[in-house]
Amino acid sequence: MIRFQNVNKWFGSLHVLNDINLQVSAGEVVVVCGPSGSGKSTLLRCINRLERIQKGKLFVDGMPVHDSTINLTKLRAEIGFVFQQFHLYPHLNVLENVTLAPIHVRGMKKKEAEELAMEKLERVGLADKATAHPEQLSGGQQQRVAIARGLAMSPKILLFDEPTSALDPEMIGEVLSVMVKLAEEGMTMCVVTHEMGFARQVAHRVIFMDEGKIIETGKPDQFFDNPHSDRAALFISKILKH
Amino acid sequence: MTVLISGASLFLGTILGFLLGMVRSRKNRLVNPLIGFFVDVMRGTPFIVQVFIVFFILPEFGVELEAFTAAVLAMTIMGSAFICEIVTAGILAVPKGQWEASSSSGLNILQQLRLVIMPQAMKTILPPLVGQYVLLIKDSSVVSAIGVVELTRVGWLTVVRIPEGLMVFSLVAALYFAISYPLIRISNSLERKLTVNRVSL
Ligand SMILES: Nc1ncnc2c1ncn2[C@@H]1O[C@H](COP(=O)(O)OP(=O)(O)O)[C@@H](O)[C@H]1O
Ligand SMILES: [Mg+2]
Repeated sequence: MIRFQNVNKWFGSLHVLNDINLQVSAGEVVVVCGPSGSGKSTLLRCINRLERIQKGKLFVDGMPVHDSTINLTKLRAEIGFVFQQFHLYPHLNVLENVTLAPIHVRGMKKKEAEELAMEKLERVGLADKATAHPEQLSGGQQQRVAIARGLAMSPKILLFDEPTSALDPEMIGEVLSVMVKLAEEGMTMCVVTHEMGFARQVAHRVIFMDEGKIIETGKPDQFFDNPHSDRAALFISKILKH
Repeated sequence: MTVLISGASLFLGTILGFLLGMVRSRKNRLVNPLIGFFVDVMRGTPFIVQVFIVFFILPEFGVELEAFTAAVLAMTIMGSAFICEIVTAGILAVPKGQWEASSSSGLNILQQLRLVIMPQAMKTILPPLVGQYVLLIKDSSVVSAIGVVELTRVGWLTVVRIPEGLMVFSLVAALYFAISYPLIRISNSLERKLTVNRVSL
């Protein structure tokens, strides 16, 4: 579904992605972790081309993302992206946030899009908030709306960039449980997170990054209990202390 | 007459200003310096000089405009420069995440501007825009006070009679610009520094 082949990217002189090779199959849930600044967000953002790769090849559902002539709208319609800071549209209510892309990108009728949106809001447990505005919602609720917004495009892939890092601890659970449900339903997911519980419960693979490189890949239990590299061991001991 | 000139030039200046502002906020490396220079020139020269240039110097190049058209043209161009500044600032005040979220859902750039960015930018744009309208309406009195209808004909004759007239206007414009351009640059860079500081706090 997603294939990185010797992908490289620089920000000026900073080598932020260093020869990345990675495959994610349909239905797979991959957790990406690593210290801050190691390139996790950039890795994710290359997949829907919020960032351009500079060397190597990157395929998403057969589409060559490294090729500048591809249809970006088509690529992005297949990928839902959930941000750390939610980025809901503050001038629209919850329902309008979710229906915006189905109406204007998919060309759905308003009524049809609203039915679809209500179904997605139901899935994240927020059907009763359809007419609320984002600022009236808690962080956890906003993030669940953001997930519903991503789901409304019926994507093949969902990308999450630290979806619970901006949340108060008591709200992390409600967001994670929505994500667990999606994972169990067979959604292809790449999740940048340090939530070990989530990783152990649903991830098929954990990828550990440092300084733009993939240092280590493993099954969650193996990775967290017996990391191969010292860097990963150090990192795990740090997140455990939290 | 004044009302008509103000109305027409505010309308056209707003459209042109919004277009320029939206293009400028995309930070295209080729187009941006051009728009930036245009805005700086317009901000750096007195309106009266710009009016005289449209009225007296354009005819020298064979562009003979009716008085009304000339007045509207001068005011539209000037207005669009100021409005461009306001619109650019308004768009840049919308968090980057709004661009990222909307492009991630597959909206194209026109849809992003129309559905997501501009509705939010308008909050920042409206107050200074209204202020700018007031200033522009005041400026329109410059055009009408010297009597638009006579101005072109009389001025035209003057310029023809004194060939230096053309030179004088160009010189005055250049002089003003030489003084105010560095000031504009300084204020721009100050603005940028202050914004950066605020972000990094
Ligand atoms: N747009 C950018 N311009 C310049 N440097 C950037 C940009 N985005 C990220 N970086 C840098 O690239 C590195 C990797 O960033 P990122 O992918 O966000 O890491 P992570 O998500 O693992 O914390 C960091 O050092 C960061 O400062
Ligand atoms: Mg990050």
